[in-house]
Amino acid sequence: MKPMDVFEAIAWVLAGILFINSLRGLSSQETARRGNGFGVVGMALAIGAILISGRTDHLGALIGALAIGATVGGVMAQRVAMTSMPEMVAILHSFVGLAAVLVGFAAYLDSAGEGGGAALGIEIWLDVLIGSITFTGSIMAFLKLRGSVSGRPLLLPGRHAFNLIAFSSSLALCVPFVMATGTEGLPYLIVMSVLAGVLGVHLVAAIGGADMPVVVSMLNSYSGWTASAAGFMLKNNLLIITGALVGSSGAILSIIMCRAMNRSIWNVIFGGFGAEPPKSSGNAPAAPVGDVIATSIDELAEELANAKQVVIVPGYGMAVARAQHAVKQLVDLLNKRGILTRFAIHPVAGRLPGHMNVLLAEASVSYDIVLEMDEINGDLPQTDVVLVVGANDIVNPAAQTDTSSPIYGMPVLEVWHAKRTVVLKRSRGVGYAGVDNPLFVLPGTRMLFADAKVGMEQLVAKLSA
Amino acid sequence: MRIAVVREALATDPLPLETRVAATPDSIKRLIALGFEVSVESGAGEAANFPDSQYVDAGATIAADARENYAAADVLLKVRPLRERPDLGADEVDLLRDGATVLGFFYPGRNTELLERARAKKLTVLAMECVPRISRAQKMDALSSQANIAGYRAVLEAANRYGSFFTGQMTAAGKVPPAKVLVIGAGVAGLAALGAAKGLGAIIRSFDTRAAVREQIESMGGEFLEVTFKEDGDGGGGYAKEMSPAFLEAEYALFRKQAKEVDIVITTALIPNKPAPKLWFKDMVELMKPGSVIVDMAAESGGNCDVTVANEVVVHNGVIVLGFTDLAGRLPTTASNLYGQNLVHLLTDMGGAKGWKVDFDDEVVRGATVTHEGEITWPPPVKPAAAPAPAAPKPAAAPAPVVAAPVAPPAPTKSKGHGHGGGGPKVHLGSARSAPLTWLSIVALALSYFLLQNAAPDATGLHLFAQQLTIFALSCFVGWQVVWNVAPALHTPLMSVTNAISGIIVVGGMLHLSGDLSRPAALLALAAVLFATINIGGGFMVTRRMLKMFHR
Repeated sequence: MKPMDVFEAIAWVLAGILFINSLRGLSSQETARRGNGFGVVGMALAIGAILISGRTDHLGALIGALAIGATVGGVMAQRVAMTSMPEMVAILHSFVGLAAVLVGFAAYLDSAGEGGGAALGIEIWLDVLIGSITFTGSIMAFLKLRGSVSGRPLLLPGRHAFNLIAFSSSLALCVPFVMATGTEGLPYLIVMSVLAGVLGVHLVAAIGGADMPVVVSMLNSYSGWTASAAGFMLKNNLLIITGALVGSSGAILSIIMCRAMNRSIWNVIFGGFGAEPPKSSGNAPAAPVGDVIATSIDELAEELANAKQVVIVPGYGMAVARAQHAVKQLVDLLNKRGILTRFAIHPVAGRLPGHMNVLLAEASVSYDIVLEMDEINGDLPQTDVVLVVGANDIVNPAAQTDTSSPIYGMPVLEVWHAKRTVVLKRSRGVGYAGVDNPLFVLPGTRMLFADAKVGMEQLVAKLSA
Repeated sequence: MRIAVVREALATDPLPLETRVAATPDSIKRLIALGFEVSVESGAGEAANFPDSQYVDAGATIAADARENYAAADVLLKVRPLRERPDLGADEVDLLRDGATVLGFFYPGRNTELLERARAKKLTVLAMECVPRISRAQKMDALSSQANIAGYRAVLEAANRYGSFFTGQMTAAGKVPPAKVLVIGAGVAGLAALGAAKGLGAIIRSFDTRAAVREQIESMGGEFLEVTFKEDGDGGGGYAKEMSPAFLEAEYALFRKQAKEVDIVITTALIPNKPAPKLWFKDMVELMKPGSVIVDMAAESGGNCDVTVANEVVVHNGVIVLGFTDLAGRLPTTASNLYGQNLVHLLTDMGGAKGWKVDFDDEVVRGATVTHEGEITWPPPVKPAAAPAPAAPKPAAAPAPVVAAPVAPPAPTKSKGHGHGGGGPKVHLGSARSAPLTWLSIVALALSYFLLQNAAPDATGLHLFAQQLTIFALSCFVGWQVVWNVAPALHTPLMSVTNAISGIIVVGGMLHLSGDLSRPAALLALAAVLFATINIGGGFMVTRRMLKMFHR
C-alpha cells in the first residue's frame, strides 16, 4: 500500500465512525446537534481525503462541482418552509438515486476496457437498478407531496402483474448485459434503467397519501442501499458502510411506521391499501350512525378556559393550514392560565416520520410538552378537553372496535376517553385511509368546522380578549 | 317558526315550586341559529336567575301578552307537563292553537286524561322522558342530564344536615374520621352522588344489582358492595329488574350490616312502570347512628325508604330522612341550561325551523312522540333488538321522575385489550438497545475493516466479495443498533441527516473523475458529484436548521 492509500483508508474509517456517531447523536434532543456536527466532519474528512490524495486529474472542475452543489443544496435548505419538509426530503432522495445511476454508468464505461468480470457487471447492474427506482420513485413522491399529482393511489388493473413483469425483465436483461464485451452492454443497461424508472414511478403512484411516511422512509432506505451497491461496485468500503447505515436506518423507520399503522411492509411497498373493495358486500361496515354535534369558537373557548388538562392532537390538516404558530399561541395562553396543555403525536401523523414534531419545534413549542402516543394514551381519561387539529385516522376508534375496518388494529390515540373531544376540521370528510370515523358522532365529541389556522386564530383572539 | 317559552311556576302552586325554565339565553342563541323565532313570557327565567333582559340580549322577544304567547306558538317548550294556568283562566292545552307542537316532560302513563285532551287538540307532543335511551340520543336525554344534577345536589343536601366533616381531618384538637357514604343504585344520579361525595372527601361505597356497573363505581374510587349470591339484575334500558326473593334476602342482610357503619345513605332505585322498590326498611333506619342522613331520591315514586315522606324532612330515631323531589330544581341555572340544551339537540334532530319534520322513521322522534295529528302514538311499537342490550329502548311508560336511576351513558367503544399497556401493538419494540453492544459492534467493524484490508490487500473476485459482504453485514448491524435508539420526535432530522450522509456517493463520482474530462464517463461522474453535493449541503443544512428549533 502506498502511504496515500493508508491515509485515505484511515480517513475513511474515521468518517465511517463519525457517521455512526452522527446517527447515535440523534437519539436525543440534547445530543442531536452534536450528531449533525459529526456527520459534517465525517463528510468533510471523506471528501478531503480524496481531494488531497491526488486521485483526480481535475481538481478545479471537481471543486467547482462541489461548490455549486453545496450552494444549491444550502439555498434549498434555507428557503424550504418547515411545512414543505416532506417534499424536501423526497427530492433529496432522488438526487442520491440519480447520482448512483450516473456513477453506475460512469463505472461501466470506465470498466469496459479492463473487463471487470461478471461480478462487477452484476454490481453495476444492481447499483443502477436501485438507483433508478430511488430516483423516479422519489420524484413521484415529491410530486405527490407537493400536490402536483393527486395523493390518491393510482390502481391500474393488473398492477401486480405489471410490477412483476417490469422487475423480472430487468432481471433478465442482466444476463445479456453481463455477457456483452466492451461497452456493447450499454443498450441493455439503458433499457433496464428506464424499466426500473417506470417501476419506481408506478410503485409510488399506487400508494395513498396517508402511507407517505412509509414511502419516504422506504426511499430513504433505498438511497442507502444504492450507495452500498455503489460501494461493492467500486470496491469502496466507506460507501458500503455508509450505505448500509443509511439503508438500515430507513428500513427501521419503515418498520416503525408500518407498526404504527398495523400494516405489513409488503402491503405498503406494492400499494393499493384503502382502495380495496370490501371483501364481502354482506357485512359491509355499517356507516357510523348519528349526527355530529357542532360547536362554536365561543363555546370551545369557554370549555378550554374551564379545563384543567388539555391535550392537542395535531394532524396533517395543521401542516396544510400552517396553523402551528397559532396553535403555539393558544398553548401559551392556556399555560398562562395554569392549564396543563400538552401535545399528543401519533407516529404517522403528517406525511413524514416526525413531521409534527418539526412543525411544533418551528413554532417554538418546547419538546417537553410534546408526547408520543404511548406516553399520553394513559393520561387521556383524565383530560378535560382534547383538541384534534386536522387529524382523522389516527384518532379513529374503529381501529379498535370494528374488525371490518381497513384500519382495524392500527394503534390510535384514544381521545374518546377524554371528557370532551373537539375535532377541528374543514369538513366532515373521511381521512386519507378513506375510512368513516365514528369518533365524530360520539356523544362526547364536538365538531368545529373551520380551517385549522383560522379556527385557531379566532380561538386565540377569544381567549386573549 | 315561532317558539314560545313560558313560566313554569305560579306563586299559587303547591310547594316545591318549579324553578327551572325550558330555554336559557344560551340555548335561545342556538334556537335562533336553527332559524326559530323565540318569544319568552315575562319572568319565565327569574327563578333560574335569567332576567328578561338576558333573553332580549340573546335575541328573544318578551311576549307582551301571556295568552297571545301561547296562541302564536308553533312550538311550546316546557319543563313540566301541560297544566292549568289559573292566572290566565285557562288550561295550557286550550291556550295553544290546534296542531301546535309541545316539547317537555309529559308522563303519559299517569296523565292519561291530559294525553286524551292533547290528542283532541291535535297537538304533537314529544315527551322528554320518552326519548329512547340509545347512544345517539344521549345528548337529548333529559332524564340523565337532570339526574346528574340531582345526584350532586343530594350529596350537598346530606352534607348540609350532617353534623360532621365529609373529609377526615387530623387537627391539633384530635382526629375526625371521614364520613362513609353508601349510594344504592349506581345509575346517572348514583354515580353523580358518588363523585360529589368523593370530591368532599368521603369514603364512598355503592350497591347495584347490575354487575356491569362495578367498573364504573370503582372508576369513581368507590367500593362495589356485593352479595354472595349470583344474579344479574339488568332489566334493560339502564334500569334494574326486580330480583328473586333469595337475592333480596342477601341484599337486605348486606344493608343491615352497612346501616351500622355508614353515615350517609343515598337511595336511587327505580323500576320502570312500578312504584319505587322499598329496600331501606324501618329497622335499618333504626340501626343507623343518630345524626346520620338518608336522601331518598325515589321519593316522588313512593320512596326507597319506609319512613320517607315526599318533600319533607323526617327525623326518625335521630336519623334525618330527606324526601326532596326537586333536587335538580335546586340548581336551577345549570338544570335549565342542560335541559335547554337537550331541547336544542332534539329540535336540531327534527330539522330545525327550515327542515322541520316530525319524522316517524327517526327512532328518537318516534319514541318521544306521544300524540301526533289527532292520534295517540304512545307507547311506540316495540322495535325488536334495535340496539345492543344496554341501549335498548326504555319502556316508555316509565313513571320515572326526574331523579331516575338510569345507567350512565354507555361508555362508548371502550376496549380493554387494545388500551394502554394491554395487548395493543407496541411501536417501539426495539428501542432500548444497550450502548456497550453498540460500541462493541463499532469496534468489531473497525477491526474487521483493517484485518480484512491487510490480510488480503490485493484480494480479487470472490475473496474480495466476501470481505465486502462482511463489512456490509456488520454495518447493517451497527446501523440497526444505533437507529432504534432515535427518539421518534427526531425522525425527520434523522431522515435529513441520513439523506446528507447518503450523499457519500459523491466519493463514487470523484473516483471516476479522471482522464480526459470530455469522456462521457468523466462527465457522468462530474454530474454525479454535483447532484450528490446538493444532497450533502442541503441535508446537513436543513438538519441544522431543524435541530436549532428544538428547544425545551
